[in-house]
Amino acid sequence: MTTIRCHKCPQRAVIRMRQHRLALCKDHYPQWFIEQTQRFIEKYRMFTHQDRILVAVSGGKDSLALWDVLWQLGYEAEGLYINLGIEGEIAYSDESQQATQKFADQRGLKLHIYHVEEQRGESVPAIALRTHRGRQKPCAVCGLIKRHTMNQMARQLGFNVLATAHNLDDEVSFLFGNLLSWNLRQIPRQSPVLEAEEGFVRKVKPFIRFSERETAAYSIVRGIEYIEEECPFAEGSKQLQYKDLMNRLEEQQPGVKLRFLLGFFNAMEQGFIHPIEDGQGEVILKPCPSCGQPTSTGGLCATCRLFEEN
Amino acid sequence: MPVVLIYRKQKLEVEGTLTVREALQKLGLSPESHLIVRNGELLNENDILRNGEEVKIISAISGGAR
Repeated sequence: MTTIRCHKCPQRAVIRMRQHRLALCKDHYPQWFIEQTQRFIEKYRMFTHQDRILVAVSGGKDSLALWDVLWQLGYEAEGLYINLGIEGEIAYSDESQQATQKFADQRGLKLHIYHVEEQRGESVPAIALRTHRGRQKPCAVCGLIKRHTMNQMARQLGFNVLATAHNLDDEVSFLFGNLLSWNLRQIPRQSPVLEAEEGFVRKVKPFIRFSERETAAYSIVRGIEYIEEECPFAEGSKQLQYKDLMNRLEEQQPGVKLRFLLGFFNAMEQGFIHPIEDGQGEVILKPCPSCGQPTSTGGLCATCRLFEEN
Repeated sequence: MPVVLIYRKQKLEVEGTLTVREALQKLGLSPESHLIVRNGELLNENDILRNGEEVKIISAISGGAR
């Protein structure tokens, strides 16, 4: 078997990306990864050096890699860690918080922490259990609380951009899942950038074109100490099944995941896919009387309703 | 002594000499979603694993609420 060499120097490659027909060494790979991120930021007009960016960090490889890259690119990026109160084999949320804090301290970065149990009196699994949401798994409640808190904290702390580390595999599995169930209202909402609206900060996904393999490789090569353990509730999730399926396909057809997602974005851009205009999809947002965040319910927002049931 | 691969705190074994890609395939793991690290150094899919070595398999895939 031939040794794979870096395409930019004679060193041994640490990664080969068949979809890009590119192999890179431990020095050139992080360089390429950072340059590509900057290219995506510009291509999708995500933000500039004048913006204040809040990075949602979980302690995992993707979000710490994103914060690391934005820091290296010189953006004004602070972190937000939401402690969900998830336990498992290890104290999952607390360990993740520690890893995130250590990462921030090593780089002199500012980390904001929102502790759900301290703020709300209950952990996310406890809220899910009490409200009987999500068939023994708190994932639906978790997603709701995370989205709510990220926007709330970004606004309170004066950030105009919220960056998440959603990657190619996240987006492809989400799109694939929505197509499988013909979720036509959700499909047109998927985008690298969600523009700011009344009460909502701009949301961006700078890693949308990197596979999870690529973000993991970046974290390993950069020596980022991330939490390798999976959320104990993620096991058996549909999203993981779709990711596995798409990766089996990628083995046979290099680049298929990227083509699937970019083809979708192109179709959106050219107007082949657009939001359903039957009146039902038209959303009128009003401030939630409890938290002030915009909601379409006409009363309390979905997150505040979780606590009204208490 | 075979090649020892640590995966999710479990010790798996395969007979060397073989490439990273072959080792992952033997274990039924997709090379698209798994990486192998030896002494902290990331290996590419053609790098060779030899009997007596211990390496770590990193799962690149994670899932959870959006």
